[in-house]
Amino acid sequence: MLRQKTPIWDWPVRLSHWGFALLVPAMWWTAENGEMGWHMRLGLVLLALVLFRILWGLVGSETARFNSFLRSPWAGLQDLFGRYKRSPLAIGHSPSGGWSVAALLLVMLAQASMGLFAGDPYDGATGPLNSLVGVMTADWLTDWHETGFWVLVALIALHLLAVFGYQFLGKRNLIGPMITGAAKFDKPVAGNAGGSTFRALMCLALAGGVATAIGTGLVAHWLSG
Amino acid sequence: MSSNRLSRPVFAFAMIGALAACGETANDAAAPEAVEIASEDASIIEVRQGNFEEIGDAFKAIRGQLEAGAPDFGVIEASAGTINANAQRIQDHFPEGTGVDSGADTEALESIWEKPEEFATAAQKLVDTSAALAAAAGTGDMAAVGEGVKNMGGSCKACHDNFRLDKD
Repeated sequence: MLRQKTPIWDWPVRLSHWGFALLVPAMWWTAENGEMGWHMRLGLVLLALVLFRILWGLVGSETARFNSFLRSPWAGLQDLFGRYKRSPLAIGHSPSGGWSVAALLLVMLAQASMGLFAGDPYDGATGPLNSLVGVMTADWLTDWHETGFWVLVALIALHLLAVFGYQFLGKRNLIGPMITGAAKFDKPVAGNAGGSTFRALMCLALAGGVATAIGTGLVAHWLSG
Repeated sequence: MSSNRLSRPVFAFAMIGALAACGETANDAAAPEAVEIASEDASIIEVRQGNFEEIGDAFKAIRGQLEAGAPDFGVIEASAGTINANAQRIQDHFPEGTGVDSGADTEALESIWEKPEEFATAAQKLVDTSAALAAAAGTGDMAAVGEGVKNMGGSCKACHDNFRLDKD
């Protein structure tokens, strides 16, 4: 029996995935311990990484692209209840996994964006765009920034539950491929052709540029006229 | 911005297997500290933080009114009154040994006890500026209210700059 090593996840997908896995707990820890300087610096890195993943979801490799893994909500529901027929040799996100990715990215984007406006200039740290909104709006966004974290925790819990469910109940290792980028199949499987490195670097530069422009105060400066 | 609303165990559960290293740092930082401080000191820290939270919320309400097209001077006067009442309690909330060096979860710098007169002056400044703001709001004079808010905000900031830990 041949055990073909098949590429599944490209490096931008893996980089952003493990970046999220490191940064989200770090964001929680820094907020919990009042390290707001680090919270904001890492928050900008997280924002850049989310933007990078979203851009890569538009122009990246097959399994990275939203149009390859975002199925109808109905397919997602069917998949969730084991009613979705999917080839055991199919690679990439399942329909419910795809929705999970979209939800995680959206909530992380919302969290990072709300954080940009959060805080009170008279009471500790403020996000780099805080001055663009009124005190009541900032207060409202700060509250939602704190609530939104628990939405993210719930989504991460679901994600981990699914991954470990596959690992121990479904006897399918999803963690290895997310590290190495490849999985072995008993039969030849059409693997994921890697995306363009040039495009990946462009996405990275664009996402990093946006976060830098926000973090250095350039965006607040432009928008306040 | 309050920082202690998130509980560790729930998060630790959600993160099981994902990032053991980060969870450990969080626990290590928390465990040895909190227990050392006497319980009455721990409760006075809670009382004073609650007192400052009310001041912060009242100040937000005031600034919210100023951002609105037509400010409600009644709200501003009442909020300034709340700040004034709370400001008078500040000095009683800082018994010796409840600063950052105690290991408690506080941002109260030791300079509060090293320069007690300066701290007393700074706290009194909030008492005075909030009283002045309440008086200005009572007259409904927009320019005087604006000036009063500026002065009161300045007293918040001046005290934070000298006596509150800033980890930014």
